[in-house]
Amino acid sequence: MSGVLASLRGVCKDFVVGKVTVQALRGIDLEVQPGEFTAIVGPSGSGKTTLLNLIGALDTATAGQVLLFGQDLARLSRGARAELRLRRLGFVFQAYNLVPVLTARENVEFVLELQGVGRQRRQRALEILRELSLAEVADRRPREMSGGQQQRVAVARAVASQPQLVLADEPTANLDSTNARALLRLMRSLRDAHGMTFVFSTHDPLVVEHATRVVTLRDGLVVGDETREGAASGAAR
Amino acid sequence: MSGSIVVRMAWRTLGRSVRRTTLSLLGLATGCAVALLASAVVRGGMDLRVRAIAQSGFGHLRVAPAGWQASQDRRLLLARWRQTLARVRACGGVEVAAPHLRTSALLAFGTKAAGTELAGVDPEAEVGYNRLIRRMGAGRYLQPEDRGVAVIGRAIARRLEVDLDDPVLVTVVDATGQIRHGLLRVVGIVDTGTPELDASICHVMLEDARELLGVEAASEITIVVPKAAELDRVARRLRARLAEDCEVLTWREIVPEQGDDARSDRGFTNLLIGIVTVVVILGVTSAQLTAMLERRRELAVLLALGMRGWQVVRLVVLEAAILGMVGAAAGLLVAAGPAYYLATRGIDLAALMGGEVAVSGVVFDAILYADMGWWMVPRGLLLGLVAALAASGYPVFYVLRTNLVAVLSLREG
Repeated sequence: MSGVLASLRGVCKDFVVGKVTVQALRGIDLEVQPGEFTAIVGPSGSGKTTLLNLIGALDTATAGQVLLFGQDLARLSRGARAELRLRRLGFVFQAYNLVPVLTARENVEFVLELQGVGRQRRQRALEILRELSLAEVADRRPREMSGGQQQRVAVARAVASQPQLVLADEPTANLDSTNARALLRLMRSLRDAHGMTFVFSTHDPLVVEHATRVVTLRDGLVVGDETREGAASGAAR
Repeated sequence: MSGSIVVRMAWRTLGRSVRRTTLSLLGLATGCAVALLASAVVRGGMDLRVRAIAQSGFGHLRVAPAGWQASQDRRLLLARWRQTLARVRACGGVEVAAPHLRTSALLAFGTKAAGTELAGVDPEAEVGYNRLIRRMGAGRYLQPEDRGVAVIGRAIARRLEVDLDDPVLVTVVDATGQIRHGLLRVVGIVDTGTPELDASICHVMLEDARELLGVEAASEITIVVPKAAELDRVARRLRARLAEDCEVLTWREIVPEQGDDARSDRGFTNLLIGIVTVVVILGVTSAQLTAMLERRRELAVLLALGMRGWQVVRLVVLEAAILGMVGAAAGLLVAAGPAYYLATRGIDLAALMGGEVAVSGVVFDAILYADMGWWMVPRGLLLGLVAALAASGYPVFYVLRTNLVAVLSLREG
């Protein structure tokens, strides 16, 4: 168990829709190791996003156990889960979800401010943007940026606090193949440079191509778990 | 500076929907302006009322014999009135202290007679505050060296058919129950324009009244303070300094019907302000709720990133505070013009009421001036702030109650 970032044992998640109970996850066993670049794939309705929500402490399991950084999420308060998300997790959303009234730099700075970073947060935000080749858009608001730029800023925001685990939900879904490829290269370089772990939910074959591990879900169950070390570095070239 | 991004976010949020923000600001500004104008008029009315009461002979405060308020017994007198008067005059915050010796009297001239209240007065103190005696219809008011003279109201003069220099016979009942008489020469006739008031004016020298009644005492000491706002403080000071055989009454106790009127006016205005505020709050709540629903996903993302519920509340409160402050500032600007007009030109009460304005023995000024002052700034800002915060309460509560996962666009895959 040592070094495991996330560990799921017999995890089930039910949703009640009207009078019907839908079993989104039906006994998931999964471990996320440091440094992985994991793609969770599967058809629509297979439970990919639900799985990400549980790993990301956004939701709680109906049954089973989710350990995140060794902590049982079911035993944590809402505040403690929020603290965990703030300090140790990063999120990238399909629709970027940047704060529209803030510039790229301020979007990154905002997370640092939540963490209580003082005067140096502006400098740190600029450094991150520079590292992600976003210095030229630092003072632009989201509406003044392309989709690719917005998603890169979203990545910058996610990694600003140097989280151990970054969760990305369909990060390339709204990008063309060129921007998608650039984004994946960027995330791979962050993994290599900072030792961050990435878990994606995706339909995109390009993401799968870059992944070091591919977990396949179907009907709320893990039906495939393939480790492909080396594939990602090849794809990244 | 910690918190600066949140402040920027709150400020810029106002610019997201200019039309909605403008409508919210208009609502807040209108509400603030109406409430401030209503308050300014009521405060002006209150000033007018208290000034009129004080200057109609009642004073702001009155030192009376202990038990007078409960019994209203004219036989109760201030025995050590000279010492009491000296103490009152030495007390800080007292502008005028006028001793009175009052009794019921029958005035007669030839075959005519009229009942009235006879007041023995100190003319030097009296002219310092009493607006009734400034309305001399004929002759003059009492002077310090006068003896054996009287100033009466026009209604009494008409009833007795007396004129200046005519002698009137005064009949009173003294402290021992004996009937006593005296002759007083009329030196002045007061014409307030209100017959009821004129029928109650018969001023004589304090010494003459004491001689008539055979007492070395005063009924009460009427007090005027320079600032009506301080009268309660002066009353407390006087109560602490005066002997136990005295009681200090405020104008609300001296003329309770005026106190009731003032409370009623204030209550009505507060009700009006309350209604206006509720209407404004409902309007702004509607706009804020729409804004929050539009931003629900954004706020859910912030929560997902690690923002706490209270930090979301703080953000929304900050936005509301900015909205409230800007709305209040606009309201102050809107109210400034009409308030200035009402403070300088006033409302002609005499024209509205068709003549003299006298109620319960109190002669009011003909023009009511609104009270325009710096007090409007903190009150307006507070009103705007409270309205905006109240209007944000339900929307933020609604947003925080929503399911984070359901709101986020983490599609169910």
